[in-house]
Formats: sequence, C-alpha cells, structure tokens
Amino acid sequence: MAVTSDYVLPCGRDVEEVWEAIDLSDEHTRSCPHCAAVRESLLVLRAATDEMAREEVEPPFDLVSRIMSAVRADVRRSDVVPLPGDGLARISTRAIAAVLRYAADGVDGVRARGCRVVEAPESTGSDPVIEVELSIAITASLVTHAAYEEVRRRVLAAASARIGVRLARLDLVVADVLEG
Amino acid sequence: MSVAEAAALDDATLVARSRDGDMRAYEQLVRRYQGPMYRLALRIVGSSGDAEDAVQDVFLTAWRRLGQLNDDGAFLGWLYRTTTNQCLNVLRKRKPHADTELDEHESPAPRTRPDRAVEVNAQLDALQAALRGLTPEQRACWVLREVHGRSYDEIAEAIGTTQQSVRGRLARARAQLAEVMAPWR
Repeated sequence: MAVTSDYVLPCGRDVEEVWEAIDLSDEHTRSCPHCAAVRESLLVLRAATDEMAREEVEPPFDLVSRIMSAVRADVRRSDVVPLPGDGLARISTRAIAAVLRYAADGVDGVRARGCRVVEAPESTGSDPVIEVELSIAITASLVTHAAYEEVRRRVLAAASARIGVRLARLDLVVADVLEG
Repeated sequence: MSVAEAAALDDATLVARSRDGDMRAYEQLVRRYQGPMYRLALRIVGSSGDAEDAVQDVFLTAWRRLGQLNDDGAFLGWLYRTTTNQCLNVLRKRKPHADTELDEHESPAPRTRPDRAVEVNAQLDALQAALRGLTPEQRACWVLREVHGRSYDEIAEAIGTTQQSVRGRLARARAQLAEVMAPWR
C-alpha cells in the first residue's frame, strides 16, 4: 500500500503517527494493513538513512589546500591599500608604515614606535584613504608642544606626497617619554 | 571531562588562535570539518562540483567573520548554518530545470564496496534519487536532522524558520521518502 498523497492513511492515521510509534507495535498497527505497510516502508527508510549517515564520502584530496590558498590570498589582499590610478597598483600597509615612521623620525626628539595603517571605509581605488595610529617616544628636553604639530604635518605630507594616499585620521600616541 | 567537552574546548582554542591570524590553527579547523561540511553540501546540492565550491566559500567566509563569532565553542554549529545557507543560495541561483543537467549517475561514492550487500547499495541509490524529489528546504531539514543529527533549534536557525515549521517539513519529507522506498520493503 502506497502512502497517500496527503500523508493520511485510509484508516485515518497520519504517516508521522506511524513513524513516532514505529518501535511500539500497538494493536491497531498489528491489525491495520495500511499502517503495517507504511511502517515497513519507514523501516526501510530508516535502514537506508543509517547507511547514508555511516557513509564516509571524502572531499577531494586538495580541498584543504585550495581553501587555505584562498584564505592566504584574502589575508594578502586585506593587508594592502590601492594606489591612485588604474586601481591595479597596491602598496602594503607595512610599506606605508615604514614611510610614515621615517617622516616622524625627522622631528627632533621624536622616535616613531608602532605604526598601524588601515584602509578607511570610504577609500576607493581612485581615491585611496587611510587611517593611521602612530605611537611615538619623545625626549622630554627636546620636545615642545609645536613638535606634535610638526609630526602631524610631516606624516600627512609624507602620506600624500611620497605615497599618494589621503590620510583621513591620524591618532598620535605618546607611548614613552625619554630622559635626556 | 567527556570526549565532547574536550573536543569543544579544542575548537575554542583553535578559533581563538585563528582570530589572532594564526593560519595553522585555522587549517586544523578546516581539516577537522571539511569532511562533514562537504558531505552535507553534497547531499543538499547533489553535485560534487557545487559542493566543493560551497565548502570553499564557507570556510573563506568563516575566516573573514571569525571576529563576529561570540562563542568560540559554537564554531561547528555556525559552520552547519553557514554551509546550509550557502547550499540553499546555490540552489536558488540555479536555473529552473538545471537539475536535469546534473549527472544522473553521480552518486556520493562508488557503490562497489564489496563489504556491502548489493541490495543495500541499491537502496542508498534510491534514497539519493528520492532526496532530489524534495524541495531544497525539505531536503536540508531532513539531511541536517536524520543524517547529521542536528537539533531542531539549530536547523530552524539555519533555514530561517521556526522549529514547528522544521518539524512539519521533516514529516512531509519523511512520508515522501518512505513512499519512494516502499518497493524495497
């Protein structure tokens, strides 16, 4: 007996009821030919399902390496900023950081330490924009308030003149004060 | 500590390290779960090429979104949800009738294993074919529950519906599959 299209058997029971009671054979199931037939089908399905669950179909042998290549390429992409122009040239954030640190070092009494460069959300291939957090160590006796402005001016200038990207935000952090 | 707890702890460690950019840690997670995700994808989309692409996309997306995962121990459940979503998207983008372009003879594994009875192989083939007759959502519900043993709650979240609706889809899927398996009883 085939399962009816609306899944209600001629005896009035739903297929799901038979499934739920599949291991508890009650009086009705024992005597009802519709329920017995569906129960048999469900038992076949259950056995085939168990086989399917045990089946260890392995992915292609090179799937892991393909996934990891994609991940590495993604990391490289996220670590670069576009250069102005046709959008094909890119520069690594580490290279930008080196240029900006050098610019800050040009101010008397200032030594650049960490320089974290990220592409700004508004950045595009034709108008690349970066945000920078620059930490510096200063030599107290040599540094005046004007020195901070000078660092800011030189770093901004280096970003636009030497690299060609717009610096939207510069967080300057004094990480250490040196005696001398 | 149970085996399951130890495994969860280990995932959490690998996830935390991956989030810090440790690609070796992430590779271990990929090795651990590419198998179940590939099998899930294969059962939902029905073609090995689409399943491979889906799994690759899932692990790349997971890498990018590690920062959004609040509970490091929940990585596996998150993978199941992402893989299910990815597969349903693949099926939605497929042109109508694209199923006929699938290799009708493509099955997840060659059914030539000598240790398995001929009849069991034939039943598995029949079940595989019957799964194609379900709607993508029904198929995803049934595979996640019956083959991968996921919770109703998790399946509801993966499909974007309620637990009640998941139970309904499962019941309909089961009745439909049982009908196709009837000749084997």
